[in-house]
Amino acid sequence: MNAFALLFLVAGLGLIGWLTARARANRFDRGGARRLHSLPGQHGMYVAMWTVLPALLFVAVWSAVSPGLVKEAVLQHPAAAQLPQFDFERDALLAEARRVANEDGAAAFDPVAQQLAAPTRDAQARYRWMGTAAAILLAFAGAAFALTRVRASFKARSRVERGTMLLLLVASLIAILTTLGIFLSLLWESLRFFQQVPITDFLFGTHWSPQVIDAGDPGKSLGAVPLFWGTFFIGAIIAMIVAIPFGLMSAIYLTQYAAPSVRKWMKPILEMLAGVPTVVYGYFAALTVAPAVRDLAVSLGYTYASSESALAAGLVMGVMIIPFVSSMADDSIAAVPTAMRDGSLAMGATTSETISRVLIPAALPGVVAGVLLAVSRAIGETMIVVMAASGAANITLNPFESATTVTKQIVDLLTGESEFDSPKTLAAFALGLTLFVITLLLNIVALRVVKKYREAYE
Amino acid sequence: MSKSLLPQLPTGPAEPTERAPTDWTTVAMQKRIRRRYARERRFRFFGLAAVTLSAAFLAFLLITMVANGWRGFTRTDVALPIDFPASGIVVERAQLATRGADLALAGAGLENMVKSAAATAFGPGGEEVLSEHAWLRVRDAIKADPSILDRKITIDLPASTEIDQALGGKGTAAAEAAAAKLQQAGVLSRRFNADFLHESDSTDPVAVGIWGALKGSLLTMAVTFLIAFPVGVLSAIYLEEYAPKNRWTDLIEVSINNLAAVPSIIFGLLGLAVFLGSWSLFGYQFGPLLPRSAALVGGLTLALMIMPVIVIASRNAIKAVPPSIRDAALGIGASPIQVVFHHVLPLAMPGILTGTIIGMARALGETAPLLLIGMRAFIVTPPGGFTDPATVLPVQIFLWSDEVSRGFIEKTSAAIIVLLVFLLAMNGLAIYLRNKFETRW
Amino acid sequence: MTDTPHKMSARGVNVFYGNKQAVKDVSIDIDMDKVTAFIGPSGCGKSTFLRTLNRMNDTISSARVTGDITLDGEDIYSSAMDVVQLRARVGMVFQKPNPFPKSIYENVAYGPRIHGLAPSRAELDAIVERSLRRAGLWEEVKDRLQDSGTALSGGQQQRLCIARAIAVDPEVILMDEPASALDPIATAKIEELIHELRGRYAIAIVTHNMQQAARVSQRTAFFHLGTLVEYGDTDQIFTTPHEERTKDYITGRYG
Repeated sequence: MNAFALLFLVAGLGLIGWLTARARANRFDRGGARRLHSLPGQHGMYVAMWTVLPALLFVAVWSAVSPGLVKEAVLQHPAAAQLPQFDFERDALLAEARRVANEDGAAAFDPVAQQLAAPTRDAQARYRWMGTAAAILLAFAGAAFALTRVRASFKARSRVERGTMLLLLVASLIAILTTLGIFLSLLWESLRFFQQVPITDFLFGTHWSPQVIDAGDPGKSLGAVPLFWGTFFIGAIIAMIVAIPFGLMSAIYLTQYAAPSVRKWMKPILEMLAGVPTVVYGYFAALTVAPAVRDLAVSLGYTYASSESALAAGLVMGVMIIPFVSSMADDSIAAVPTAMRDGSLAMGATTSETISRVLIPAALPGVVAGVLLAVSRAIGETMIVVMAASGAANITLNPFESATTVTKQIVDLLTGESEFDSPKTLAAFALGLTLFVITLLLNIVALRVVKKYREAYE
Repeated sequence: MSKSLLPQLPTGPAEPTERAPTDWTTVAMQKRIRRRYARERRFRFFGLAAVTLSAAFLAFLLITMVANGWRGFTRTDVALPIDFPASGIVVERAQLATRGADLALAGAGLENMVKSAAATAFGPGGEEVLSEHAWLRVRDAIKADPSILDRKITIDLPASTEIDQALGGKGTAAAEAAAAKLQQAGVLSRRFNADFLHESDSTDPVAVGIWGALKGSLLTMAVTFLIAFPVGVLSAIYLEEYAPKNRWTDLIEVSINNLAAVPSIIFGLLGLAVFLGSWSLFGYQFGPLLPRSAALVGGLTLALMIMPVIVIASRNAIKAVPPSIRDAALGIGASPIQVVFHHVLPLAMPGILTGTIIGMARALGETAPLLLIGMRAFIVTPPGGFTDPATVLPVQIFLWSDEVSRGFIEKTSAAIIVLLVFLLAMNGLAIYLRNKFETRW
Repeated sequence: MTDTPHKMSARGVNVFYGNKQAVKDVSIDIDMDKVTAFIGPSGCGKSTFLRTLNRMNDTISSARVTGDITLDGEDIYSSAMDVVQLRARVGMVFQKPNPFPKSIYENVAYGPRIHGLAPSRAELDAIVERSLRRAGLWEEVKDRLQDSGTALSGGQQQRLCIARAIAVDPEVILMDEPASALDPIATAKIEELIHELRGRYAIAIVTHNMQQAARVSQRTAFFHLGTLVEYGDTDQIFTTPHEERTKDYITGRYG
């Protein structure tokens, strides 16, 4: 029986439980009570919950546990004695046997794997059968238990609501689990990386060339400083030189000068800039902007201008970031009390004087927080740099030269065909951890500034 | 108001005891006022310029894509005369009605026959004029109407990428010459390429289609929605309506706010490590249970990514439902669960849906995490289910953009147009929902 | 104290919000055939006290209630009391009309539905009609039961809310300044309605309008700074108050 059939069966049993309990509750002797604690439907829900949830929980646990049981069973088979002792190779052969067992007409390259295919199939069938039987039994047991409790005085509603509340709590815990999962998985793989490569080499080394890793001293070619510089140069300098003036001036114009109808139309149009997928920006940068920048560089006299310059990627990234800066600036300017603005205007200051001497200084914390968030966004941006920036790790101040970023290197490191345990692959996780920590810090600082600022005007 | 946040007002020198009234009519004063007005106009102009340039950039980007992409929806056909009786191709008629028809026609040497027909019609090297897959079209024509095997017909077949590009003015000199010759012969025609919408990836740009990637995207989005929407909405309900205010709920709150700002690529690393990697629980590996590049894994990864977006939007929508509605329901004896599921949730639903659609649009355009979990395979058959190898539209765009052949440029742009149309439709729907159901309390 | 048992009795009730005490040692009875009015200046704790009678203060996490409150002799704060059933028996009408943004019919039918009071559609229809009639709204809305409840005028909305409370067949109805957001004509209708409902339900009403208290109630409780200053028959309170503070308030010396 496959998983879907089992789920349908369990759901069907739940439905039957619901109907039975409801029918039984409908026949309750009211015993003169004006109203009963729970409605028939609530008794039904109680029984359905007991029928479905334990069975589903079991299926979830079983599907996590049973592959291990299958593996143990297969290893007991005489042919398994020929398997290599080394875990990695053994698992590869077992995986091959599994593939042969599950696919029609598949054949194994390795004779041992071929021999193990039949035992694998048997073990899988056995455990699947056991799991199915146990799940159905559990469903029946749950239904029977719940049905015996259904009587007029039983507070089914409270029970069902407690169950619902538990469900809500579990759902909200997933956010924490995700954060924890991100942090732990990055940390775990990074620790494995730092066992092979000293952390100081990684954080302070200035030479990055993962293509040629010296097995004796992998740290020598895995110094990430050029990546950090490239990320900062493209995301925090070039992109911000575009995004801050454009974003800030757009916000000022739209909030202070534009007619309401202009604002109504232009604000969504600017926000569309943030809605365009980054892969489209990346393609645009590589196809149109990068050649234009190279031509510009050549006309300025750089004969060896790169067609993967830092400038091209940074410019396009800056445009993408404009709406972030402008909407944060918009919010913080709008939060400045009107009285301040009126006070300045009433003294005879022009609008621009009011904006630059009163509104902007007052809104500055909000604007700064917006810029921090925008930087965090820019340095985490991947597709534009993957498509338009170079893979060559340079420390340079010349925007026409190529520079690479952390995100670009993560993609490059993980999309090659390499083993999961090599320092090259693990380096991607160490880079990911660095990126995660930096964006997290930027974000926490920005949110704190915004909160302080809001409190100041409330 | 905290003092540090206020602009510091300049403190001038002490007021002299006697001061002549300001004469605003002096030349110096008038000049000064004119200068201030000039500065005002300049400032205003800069603002307008910033808005205009930003909008112009968007327009330029869209125009570039459309200009490059519209040709991607069309193809060049070559009218090729084929004389079947003279070609010496022998096929058992009875077989054409069976499922073995494809094999029978391939075995009969149809591909070579089409090539030689092209060589006959267009001179030596004439087979270069046709796409490699052109003979498949002849095969389909025979299957549709076997009687054409008895006569001489002229059939429109897709031209090769070289000819197609040469017509667009982007081919090599040799190809342009060949194209010009064909054009003079009047055998070329351009038409809408419906195959682009229902084929999958291919090595030949004239034969590619986006259906495979689109279907992959739809499957992935389905998984994302089925996970992220219920979990996101339920946790928003818990946090907004029931959670006690303590350190645990603060921790959840901080987690969600920060998750929303984590770069998408980090979620790819998470997906790689948790769903596909070497993680194990109680000594049992999960990793190999899920196939790489399946819609299921991609959908799970994106679900984790957009869940915070949905939670935040849902919380705002729930917060906007006035407390008096909750009081009213509680006052006649609705339980806290009934209050939320009968009253608060239905009223918050438009806002929740708007936030969800915006989150889904973000997931639809996302590329980086999916690259990392391996959804970058060359997929020639559309995925049949959630665990089949699949790719998605943005990744397909990325893969095509990496191709050397010039024919892929317009296909990439065409795929971008399709993606943008989908995103525009989703955002349009979100705006429509917001305007239609927006309630002022 | 009379010989007939009181519908609800409060003995030594204190309410705290965090460290702040909002109600101090209040003892009051609410009887079946009487309207009890709570009067007093703003912030005197009268609304807070009213909300303890059907445990609406439970929704405020910092609120804490001590003392005894009984309904037909049962302690409503005991763990055996189901708060949902309590609120069905002790209904509440709020200061601002708060109909659900649903049809008029659905507004009234919602309570009977969740409490399972109407097994059939016909019975539900009957409950809705009876409740709307008792609330004096039937004639005005019988032709447009499917219109939204929020489309009614303020006074009609408040009567809809009263109909909604009546529909679950409560024993006590608590009204928290039910007419304070309404114009004088709508207020008169609500007062008239309270008159008609007396006898069928035990009614407690909070009001800051002393004429209203004098018009609609038989018993009056005067609250000041969280304490119950004086509690007695309305006639007595308004003509010969025992306490100086009551007299000052009623004669408009402060308030």
